Amino acid sequence: MSAPLVVVAKDSAEHKRWQYVQWLYLAGFLLLTPLVLEPFEIGKMNRALIMSVAILAVNLVVGFNGMLALGHSAFMGIGAFVTASMVQDENWDYWQVLPVVLIVGFIMGVVIGLPALRVKGLYLALVTIAQAAVFPTLVNIDELGIAARTGGPNGKGVSEEVIAPSYLEWLPGVDGARGGSAYRYWIIVLMLGITLLVITNYLRSRPGRAVLAIRDNEAGAAVYGVNLPVVKTMNFAISASLGSLAGLMWCLDKGFVAGQDFTFLLAIDLIIGLVLGGVGTIQGSLVGGLFVVWVNDLTKRISIPLGLYTLNGDGPLAKAIFGLILILFTFFAPGGIVSLARLVSSKLIKVVPLTPAGEPIEPLSNFDPGMESTRADAAVKLAVVPPVLLAIGWLLMSVNNLIVGVLAFGLRMTILMAPVAMLVGSNELKAHAAGNRPDSVQGPANMARLLGAAGTVFVIVYAVQRFVLNY
Amino acid sequence: MVDDVFDEVGLKVEDLHASYGAVEVLRGLDFEVAAKGVSVILGANGAGKTTTLRAICNMCNTSGKVTLGDDDITRTGTAEIVRKGVAHVPQGRGTFPELSVLDNLMIGAYTRKDKEVKDDVDRWFEIFPRLSERSDQLAGSLSGGEQQMLAVARALMCRPRLLLLDEPSLGLAPLIIEDLFERFTTLNKETGLTMLVVEQNANLALDMADYGYVIESGEITLSGSAEKLKNDPAVQEAYLGA
Amino acid sequence: MTWNFDVLPDFIFNGLSLGAIYGTVALALVLIFKATTLINFATGELAMLGAFLVYVLHMEQGLWLWLSMLLAMLLSAGLGVLIERSLTRPFDPEDHLPVVLITLGLFLIINAVAGDIWNYQVRILTNPFGKFPDWVPSVGGDRFVEVLGSRLKYQSIGIWVTLAVALFVLGLILNKTRAGLAFRAVSSNVESARLVGVHTGRTLGFGWAIASAFGTLGAVLVAPQLGGVNPNMMATILIYALAGAALGGLDSLGGAVLGGILVGLIQAVLVTWGGVVVFGQLYMSILQLAAAFLIILIVLLFRPSGLFGTRRVERV
Repeated sequence: MSAPLVVVAKDSAEHKRWQYVQWLYLAGFLLLTPLVLEPFEIGKMNRALIMSVAILAVNLVVGFNGMLALGHSAFMGIGAFVTASMVQDENWDYWQVLPVVLIVGFIMGVVIGLPALRVKGLYLALVTIAQAAVFPTLVNIDELGIAARTGGPNGKGVSEEVIAPSYLEWLPGVDGARGGSAYRYWIIVLMLGITLLVITNYLRSRPGRAVLAIRDNEAGAAVYGVNLPVVKTMNFAISASLGSLAGLMWCLDKGFVAGQDFTFLLAIDLIIGLVLGGVGTIQGSLVGGLFVVWVNDLTKRISIPLGLYTLNGDGPLAKAIFGLILILFTFFAPGGIVSLARLVSSKLIKVVPLTPAGEPIEPLSNFDPGMESTRADAAVKLAVVPPVLLAIGWLLMSVNNLIVGVLAFGLRMTILMAPVAMLVGSNELKAHAAGNRPDSVQGPANMARLLGAAGTVFVIVYAVQRFVLNY
Repeated sequence: MVDDVFDEVGLKVEDLHASYGAVEVLRGLDFEVAAKGVSVILGANGAGKTTTLRAICNMCNTSGKVTLGDDDITRTGTAEIVRKGVAHVPQGRGTFPELSVLDNLMIGAYTRKDKEVKDDVDRWFEIFPRLSERSDQLAGSLSGGEQQMLAVARALMCRPRLLLLDEPSLGLAPLIIEDLFERFTTLNKETGLTMLVVEQNANLALDMADYGYVIESGEITLSGSAEKLKNDPAVQEAYLGA
Repeated sequence: MTWNFDVLPDFIFNGLSLGAIYGTVALALVLIFKATTLINFATGELAMLGAFLVYVLHMEQGLWLWLSMLLAMLLSAGLGVLIERSLTRPFDPEDHLPVVLITLGLFLIINAVAGDIWNYQVRILTNPFGKFPDWVPSVGGDRFVEVLGSRLKYQSIGIWVTLAVALFVLGLILNKTRAGLAFRAVSSNVESARLVGVHTGRTLGFGWAIASAFGTLGAVLVAPQLGGVNPNMMATILIYALAGAALGGLDSLGGAVLGGILVGLIQAVLVTWGGVVVFGQLYMSILQLAAAFLIILIVLLFRPSGLFGTRRVERV
């Protein structure tokens, strides 16, 4: 299957339809999370999304500016402790703390970034790694009232839990029985959404373009008048600010912060999430957060039966797996999961750009016997195979074993291919109507459309059923 | 495009392509350097002169065929090519600034295992007394001319069969350039060392060379004996300022 | 005990001996930085692994301590060569990110492997300088001599002598051998080194080998101060060594040693002794890490090339 299943013109109605499907998946994922998952699983998702924000912060420096920052755990810690202290000791609201946290993070970013970023080379890595190592110890200092504010070695708890106000109880998943984790989930999603909006706009702005130019060609950027130290430091400070925001979200979600949560290991988790997801892409940061929490969780669960679990919660297995992931991804998939996903989607759909006149720069669906029928056939497979896998997944579900459980989950998820099969089927039919396909395409295309539609209806019904079940 | 014009072939390059990333710099060069002879490659900035020398030493992405004597060295690693007797004085001298002058010469003899290294050092100190005076100084503290002498001496420490010189005149005062080129000529006459020189200073280079090539945009556009090139109107106009 | 100038020499001796250890590890960092402009974040874990090798050879297999140390240094050198050849050579050293990620991955894997084999508990390793030989006039159970009215530990003297010998050997290797000359050439100008026939890859492997051996030496020397060996023993030492390397100049071998010693002195005298004099309270490790972090910041702010580094450190 070398040719992509679907070739569409950029901004055409078909292209839009494909984009709608993508957004639908995203919306479905976001909606189903608080509905389908257990409260403690929602908690994990919250942590994953918070990690995504922090990884995005690291990405801003490492992926988009080409500098090495290894100490964002400290910025998260600063944000978390400032929040905990202000909310608990001063009775501030979280939204009142927000600007304070952003500003404190920004200032810390300037203080640490400026000395290191005036110099070429790995100096930022040097400073930030020391910063990550030193932060957990600073929390325990008695002088200047630091330990009193941070709770010292005992950590600091926020006694008042974040709960949904009555006018927001309609939010999916939010009700009395589920505690606050679903409500906190929606706050975190909202903050993540705003962050994404701000960051994508920042990267398109003038300073953002300077940041990217430095990554691609430092000398070239300087020649075009980019003030390297200033732009780099500002970018690092924005990243630090964002890291502190992740800290605020951490405190909001967990209601408890302690120095040992923000060690060098957290900083390394962020780097691993970055590499796993994909360095230098926004989507990579989101995916990376999910995966780093998921892998962490998985290894912990595997560690117990294998006897590799240690008291402090991070058994050697998690470290070893993360180490291997770092090395293997660096060697074989330097673009991370996002690049792998792009590879897959390039087999699925090809978007042809338009000429200035608005014409596609290459023909979309030429009559080319042989290839078209494989498209329709592939669509049929896409429509038939997922329900079969879904059934197998359902059967496997009864087996109480972690690995099989993960497998079963994966198999069940393949049903999400159904809408794609439906779209490909109707695309082929349309191409046939336009006289660009042989008649032999009709059968499989109809079949794909029908089965795909059935699968899609099933997915929707299932989602609605879960939704109703939960209310 | 070049027939076997020399009795004995020192270096033979066939259909040499080289690129940096997506940019193709050399687009199929064919040329030869006669054994014991001096050949020169003339060309403007960006014509691909430096890349030609780098490609011979396999220091960039290349395709084609490079033969040294009877050895095919196209796919040989740089360090091994040096062991086969090719010395390359890169553009901008390429000395080791943090090493002493003496160490620079000693590292030049890195590939040699014989006992005469010390004698060779003495010989080069005799030829370039300035280097002898500064033998303990760091190479980075030398003047441009001294560095060029050091670079040449270092290259010759490995007792090469073929010497590649990349714009030896660059950044040097005219008097020093003349002195340097005189030494190259003497070297060639006395030892029979094969040389391939890349130069923008066409006058000096053609005086020293037996044979020359003109390279433009990665292709050889003109070749012939040094005499012939000197009298070629196109060369005179473009490179000799006549 | 009174906290005043009487005990200052104690702190100075202590700082000098800790500093010598930081210097040893800093040297391991700088050896690799000099040749590749890369910071090997796995330096500490490689050193820890070396210390565990000594533990296995000496404590478990019963080999003579010094022979175990020599063997462990050779084995870690071999491991260093292996890592260079298999994991870092495929990447362009100009592109820092991949190689830094590789060293971070190594950091995690080595730590995990050691944690799996030896658990995360401290295991006692014989102090190479536990007791003076009989012929030395000493006090305090053969562990001290009196200097300036203070007790100078046999251990401190031992560390200094060991470091001096190791530095002498390193000097011989770098200045008198072919491989050493090649290493200095590669550090100075990679491309020209290739043009005189030096195999740059093998030479970098040689650098990794010496660096790993030095790291192991540092870890073995520091083990008695930490009560023994454990998989997390080098975590803070690496930070002190980084501070020492930055202070001395990341591309200066001598600077690394002196920088490490200075960091040790600053910790012992300014932070620990000074902290007690000023605040009347013992802070120990909390402020020591902070001091290391501050040292790095201050060096970058005022003298990015460090005290002894070349000026090649470029301003952007």
